[in-house]
Amino acid sequence: MNALTQTAAAQPSLARSGNDLERARQLLQQTLLFVREQAQPWAGSGLAKASDDPYVISRFGDLQIRIEVAAALHERAEALRNAAQDPAEVSVAQAEAAIASAEALLAASNAEFELTGQRSPQLAALNDPLRWKYQLIGNYRLNGVLPPSLRSAV
Amino acid sequence: MTASAQPTRTAHIIRTDAEAISIAKALAERFAVDASVRDRERRLPVAELDEFSASGLWGITIPREYGGAGVSYVTVAEVIKIISAVDSSLGQIPQNHLGVLDILLQTASEEQKRYYFGKVLQGYRFGNAFSEAKSKNAGAFETTIRFDADGAQIDGEKFYCTGALFAHIVPAVAVNEQNQAFIAFIERDNPGLTVIDSWDGFGQRTTASGGVTLNAVRVPLSAVIPAHRAFDEPTADGPISQIIQAAVDTGIAVGALEETKHYARQSRPWIDSGLDHGWQDPFTIAAIGDLEWRVHGTEAILEKAGRAIDQALLNPNEDSVAHASVVVAQAKVLSAESALLASSKLFELAGTRSVLGKYNLDRYWRNARTHTLHDPARWKYHLIGNFLLNGVKPARHAWN
Repeated sequence: MNALTQTAAAQPSLARSGNDLERARQLLQQTLLFVREQAQPWAGSGLAKASDDPYVISRFGDLQIRIEVAAALHERAEALRNAAQDPAEVSVAQAEAAIASAEALLAASNAEFELTGQRSPQLAALNDPLRWKYQLIGNYRLNGVLPPSLRSAV
Repeated sequence: MTASAQPTRTAHIIRTDAEAISIAKALAERFAVDASVRDRERRLPVAELDEFSASGLWGITIPREYGGAGVSYVTVAEVIKIISAVDSSLGQIPQNHLGVLDILLQTASEEQKRYYFGKVLQGYRFGNAFSEAKSKNAGAFETTIRFDADGAQIDGEKFYCTGALFAHIVPAVAVNEQNQAFIAFIERDNPGLTVIDSWDGFGQRTTASGGVTLNAVRVPLSAVIPAHRAFDEPTADGPISQIIQAAVDTGIAVGALEETKHYARQSRPWIDSGLDHGWQDPFTIAAIGDLEWRVHGTEAILEKAGRAIDQALLNPNEDSVAHASVVVAQAKVLSAESALLASSKLFELAGTRSVLGKYNLDRYWRNARTHTLHDPARWKYHLIGNFLLNGVKPARHAWN
């Protein structure tokens, strides 16, 4: 960052994806605990425990995939940053991690609501909208346009 | 069509992981040139396979003590992905060959390992006669093996025999009176073995995944291994078999995404956009961004699956094998999703002209749809969830 680089768009942040990921994992653990210990099986399922319900089981499988993919992209972005790779690649990798982590958190929150009937409040990052991260990645990969934080102001 | 029972040339010996990757990249560049024509005309890749196995890539998993490179399964997955990105039929054909190499490692005698690993390092290809179209499920076999004083006899009928048509040796699964599975290594020119080029699926068109009949096939005892032992005890064989399938689909996703960007760059701007060029379209740009993170996420999980397999090979036990199965299942779900999504979005973002027959871009979707049916992703969510929620370890077989 120097006087010629503009800061109009927020820098993709690993801190944000790290937080989202951590909260997604917490929600997953809470929901697992609830289903194991408190949830009632659906009467029509003929099952003794909610945790034997094949649709509940596969729901958790799906959620874990979303969380693991976010974790993998977060680790990848960290590794690229630590290896001092091309700043554009680092920035794009951070945007990918941010999207995956936010999606994982949303998926965890939806699963929590669906399986426990509760929804824990989640902080939203309105000043750093996800929708422009897709644009950042796409514009770099399709058109070679550098992420906003790396563009010179002159 | 018949194949000779010997390779046409002696294979190169690959020494390192890095060499394997660089050879795969060089091969992929050449295989890309005629990939569309091979698919369109269903021209079987006989010459390409000779080049592929002569490159040494079919022997890279053989441990160093037997003369191979003993590469990481991260590398194996990367190699299959690189080849599959340009031609997923070519990427799939070595799948069962690599699976068989691990079953040899897990269950063969020392003498058998030296013999068959030696053959593969010379350039011999295995092609499978495992699945049966008429048995109750994918893991049930009606093909029989009966041992006698002179060796063994195998009788039965196989289907989905990817690679058999191009193989020098056809490993066939057959069960004894106790329903235990064995693998018999049958020379391609064994008079009881018939390989039928009957695969006419709309995707993976040049895999020749057709039938094999085994009619009073005689083999010596030295050509039979107790394959069931690879699953009686915890081994990485199931995850190894599966990661290659996931790598094929990841490759299709990568290839389709590259084509998407190439053709989206040339698309016309939409009338309401007020833009001069299709590549400026803000919705196209965001859609590419979405595909990018999904494909990269799939690649990142595929890599983790390779590491989990390396761990399970190094230290095989119930836990390491269960962990490898779970991570490979994640890769399987994600790769199927990404391959289907990218190969469909290709047309949406490139526009109507991209469906013209001359481009043959539908091969990515046809290949993705066909190959992702190998085993159903819906049961992978269940496998992953059941381990997470209930601590139930995945069943051990070639599909987990």
